[in-house]
Amino acid sequence: MGQSTLQVDENRHTVEELEDLAFELRSKLLQLCGTYEGAVHIGGDLSVADILTVLYHYGMNVDPTDIANPARDRFVLSKGHAAVCMYIAMAMRGFFSYEGIVETYGQLDSAYGMHPCKVQLPGVECSTGSLGHGLPIAVGMALSARGRGESHRVFCVLGDGETGEGSVWEAAMAARSNELGNLVAFVDRNRQLMTSFDEERVVFEPYPDKWAAFGWNVVLADGHDMGQLVAAIDALPAADSNRPTVVICETIKGKGVDFMERNLAWHAGRLGAADLERALTALNSTRKKETV
Amino acid sequence: MAETFTFGEMLSARSVIGSTLAELGEQYDNLWVLTPDIGATLVEFRDKYPERFLDVGLAEQVCVGIASGLAYDGNIPVVSGMLPFLSMRALEQIRTDVCYPNLPVKIIGTHGGLVGNGGSTHYAVEDLALMCALTNMTVTSIGDPLMVGEILRQSMTMAGPIYIRLAVGKSDKVLYEPGQHEIRIGKGIVAREGTDATIFTHGTVVAQALQAAEDLAQEGHSVRVVDMFTLKPIDEELIVRCAAETGGRFVVVEDHLAYGGLASRLADVMADRGVHLTAFERLGIPQVYAGFGEDEELRDKYGYGLAATIAATRRVMAAQP
Repeated sequence: MGQSTLQVDENRHTVEELEDLAFELRSKLLQLCGTYEGAVHIGGDLSVADILTVLYHYGMNVDPTDIANPARDRFVLSKGHAAVCMYIAMAMRGFFSYEGIVETYGQLDSAYGMHPCKVQLPGVECSTGSLGHGLPIAVGMALSARGRGESHRVFCVLGDGETGEGSVWEAAMAARSNELGNLVAFVDRNRQLMTSFDEERVVFEPYPDKWAAFGWNVVLADGHDMGQLVAAIDALPAADSNRPTVVICETIKGKGVDFMERNLAWHAGRLGAADLERALTALNSTRKKETV
Repeated sequence: MAETFTFGEMLSARSVIGSTLAELGEQYDNLWVLTPDIGATLVEFRDKYPERFLDVGLAEQVCVGIASGLAYDGNIPVVSGMLPFLSMRALEQIRTDVCYPNLPVKIIGTHGGLVGNGGSTHYAVEDLALMCALTNMTVTSIGDPLMVGEILRQSMTMAGPIYIRLAVGKSDKVLYEPGQHEIRIGKGIVAREGTDATIFTHGTVVAQALQAAEDLAQEGHSVRVVDMFTLKPIDEELIVRCAAETGGRFVVVEDHLAYGGLASRLADVMADRGVHLTAFERLGIPQVYAGFGEDEELRDKYGYGLAATIAATRRVMAAQP
């Protein structure tokens, strides 16, 4: 099985450092969106950017130099259309080169495409993209860990929209039935589908109650408040406990760029050079406000 | 496993699955067995390896999704259930979560064809067409209950997924004496030699094809029967050889839609390889949602029973080149 433990990073990032990293992630996302010829799922990338930052730079026990270590925490991006946000978050953690992503994204034979592919990019844990598929896979990984007596966790990030898929709730039921306290789901609750706002077209509320009714340990957090995200991770029940945890993160689709926020036009899109400048200016202004 | 068998004896394919998995569970400590509430035959494995057995209840999609997660993590998952539901309710999970990353998940199940008298909700009649369409998938359909165990054993070392189709699996005729034929995934079995025509078949109707050949032998005809239990990858060389050795006279009999199953696989090979036949007949389920009835009654009603097989074979043998 190889080495059974990972070196725990003693110098975990502070909340301020994580905020800096999330800002850098958003800037890099916009740069890519401004140079790539095709559409990028920028709205959902920006809503999940803080969650992926806190997972890759604080919450998950992973080692970019030892990607197959059996003791690593597993990560499943169920909202696979946020792949580029994950690639860049992973690049910032040392898994990939950001330049490699920007230079080849979406091009013929690139490992970096719109939805993550394990075959083309072995650094990711699994192939996703079809919504509602990630949590069942994560349940399988968590069961595997239990079966082998391993103590790592399995993290799964879902969009709230995809929890309209029945397979998500099959998985929620299976996770509770098998007492998978080593499974942690983060829901990016940006309250938007591709073409409508959640509660207008599909009623999700009372959303936390739904997860609670399936027997999950439910944690609520502001998905753009790094302090709250860190606190949620610090408070996770032990991996050998018997209830799966869902952290429902209230987020804003397009977060950080005023003209994209809560704007249905920016589910996916491309930025020209002029709009890239506008977007970066908008992002920078949020940074200034926060630091004032 | 201390059972003994005699040629022609009836045996339950389900019990062979159960005992084979229990045996393999010892050899492979990463073998998992999962089921969506169809676990009656899996109790031997469940009792021996409860920590590697999972009944998710009625939830085919998560059952296959979990199998994918287990396989990503280095395990060998076997998903056992009823094929009309596994092959369709969980089709996208099979395609996207298993075949796309090419994981060693085995899908094994019953109710392939018009069997079990459950009506069209409970007959898997298009499953082979669906599974053959999936890149990386190996597709098999097994008639002989003892073969099921052998195929499961061979599948343990496969890198990618496999689909194993059975009929009802409660009482099946043992077709082959153990050791009589080489059983190898991807290789058709010449179940009976002959030179006048070839009947290609798979699954539960292999026994019927053998009976047809035997009846025709009484009239002096020499009919070959090929058990093409692997539909994908198909044994092209055997098809080409049979065309040459049996006068280009083919009959296909299968308990599946007549278009989309083995007959279509054969037709593709013949077109691709430029094989010219003297006569070709396909017997299978027409474009209907079949109603109730016993297996044999339904086969007769829809034109792929014993009498229809004999009649079709007579026609191809009588065809002018």
